[in-house]
Amino acid sequence: MTLTTTSFDWVRQLVHRESAIVLQPGKEYLVEARLLPIARRAGLADVSQFVESVRTRPSPDSTRAIVEALTTNETSWFRDGDPFTALTSTVLPSLLAARGPSERLQIWSAACSSGQEAYTIAMLLEDALPSAASRVSITATDISREMVERTRAGRFSQLEVNRGLPAPMLVRHFVRAGTEWEVTPQLRRMVTASECNLAAPLPRMGPFDVVYLRNVLIYFDLPTKQAILRRVRDVMRPDGWLFLGAAETTLGVDDSWERVVVGRSSAYRPSKGK
Amino acid sequence: MRALVIDDSRAMRRIVSGILEGLGYETQQAGHGREGLDVLEGGWLPELVCVDWNMPVMDGLQYVSAVRSNPAWRSMTIMMVTSESEHTQIVRALAAGAHEYVIKPFTADAIRDKLALLGLLPQEVVL
Amino acid sequence: MTAMDTGERRRTGEARPLITELIDETTVESVAQEAWISLVGEEELLVPLPGEPVTDPVSSWVDVVGPWTGSVVLTTGRRTAEELTRALLREHSPEVLEDEDVADAFGEIANVVGGNVKAALPGSSGLSLPDVGEAPAVRNPEDVCRADLLWRGQPISISVQGALPPLPAH
Repeated sequence: MTLTTTSFDWVRQLVHRESAIVLQPGKEYLVEARLLPIARRAGLADVSQFVESVRTRPSPDSTRAIVEALTTNETSWFRDGDPFTALTSTVLPSLLAARGPSERLQIWSAACSSGQEAYTIAMLLEDALPSAASRVSITATDISREMVERTRAGRFSQLEVNRGLPAPMLVRHFVRAGTEWEVTPQLRRMVTASECNLAAPLPRMGPFDVVYLRNVLIYFDLPTKQAILRRVRDVMRPDGWLFLGAAETTLGVDDSWERVVVGRSSAYRPSKGK
Repeated sequence: MRALVIDDSRAMRRIVSGILEGLGYETQQAGHGREGLDVLEGGWLPELVCVDWNMPVMDGLQYVSAVRSNPAWRSMTIMMVTSESEHTQIVRALAAGAHEYVIKPFTADAIRDKLALLGLLPQEVVL
Repeated sequence: MTAMDTGERRRTGEARPLITELIDETTVESVAQEAWISLVGEEELLVPLPGEPVTDPVSSWVDVVGPWTGSVVLTTGRRTAEELTRALLREHSPEVLEDEDVADAFGEIANVVGGNVKAALPGSSGLSLPDVGEAPAVRNPEDVCRADLLWRGQPISISVQGALPPLPAH
């Protein structure tokens, strides 16, 4: 049985309320594809039955499972490599010059998924900076508890390490763990993972020197985009750097940012006096 | 752009060549390292070589060393595509002069991602 | 050393791990599942259930030589091996499949599964070229880790089996 309008609307409202992500009409197929494994695990034959059972008797675990299934996305290591090149070529030298030798740089990988972005940053810093672990800390957050746990574990399947991770970095920063690969303890020490919903007020965190918030804003409506950018700005240093996804911008959303070109990439910095 | 695909399995040669052709490459195939050297010695010089490890006659590691010992072939990018997936094996292949390493099994996306890292995606391909 | 020397006497008293101490069925299953998803197709699930015994079996295998020595053997029915070959080759699949095509493709799957099983074992080991035909005999029933799977409803087994006979009891 295909998803009824009532079920789909209920899922849309739930996801919007919990994560502020907008599911447009026509995305029924996405809901069916993402929820089918959970429905099967619950012993039900199809997604409609599953949604109806949760709708009539909601429980925190099942609603969370639905939100998580619909808000996670695929990542690979050096996806759009330019924001990473910018980190080592421009951002890092400028921050090291501006900060004292004992000041620790703080970087935030927001919506970190299973941790590829956070560990990509950690690998680059480890290769660029002597004793990186004592100079930098990376905060990785995601709305999904499962993703936070995966980031914390720092273990990736063969198929995951095959996706855009340069082989020299694989051998330098990973060890074999059975059929999987595990980040070295040095990398893991640099990364702290926790749950965080960007659509709600943020916990005490930062102040961050660099924030990676890539391919996240695209999922939200305009008022939520504005609220997220405002909150991010509040936890950033005034001379910090924000990286968005290639298809995202602050222009026309929030005018308290200044766009700067860094190599082949763009970064956004808090405007002075705003 | 040209790519040479060296693997003792005909099926695997077809799969890898198919992916590369889909990305705009012109390809040739060889069944082991010695045949792969014959192609180069015959004057067909590719930008990219995808080479398996375990093969009869001449294995992939020997092939990488042979290519690296000839200065005329220095500009070629070599990517190993193999089910050898121990940490030490990858280190050995890179030390011998391979640029990249794809572990079998792989998807077409994995090959494309690696070529993007190497700057070897033909221009007209839209990601 | 003669061809008859099984190594039994030489190895007596040496510590020699059994495969069951090194990996489990779930590991073999997950290695095979990754191979199927990447090579055969994204939706191609292997179901961990034993099927009916196959009437016309064919096997492909690679040998692993190292701290543990043995073979990684895939066995299925002739028809299933052909179907697997077509799935692997997709649009490159010839009209008529020759025995050689099936041996090549089924052998390559053994190579991929075997290479990854090998990497999950401790230490460094060597890997042979794949072979296709009648499965090598099980030398020591204790030294076998076997996964029975169904692919498109047809049985495929993966047996990781030692090459050496049991150590004599003291």
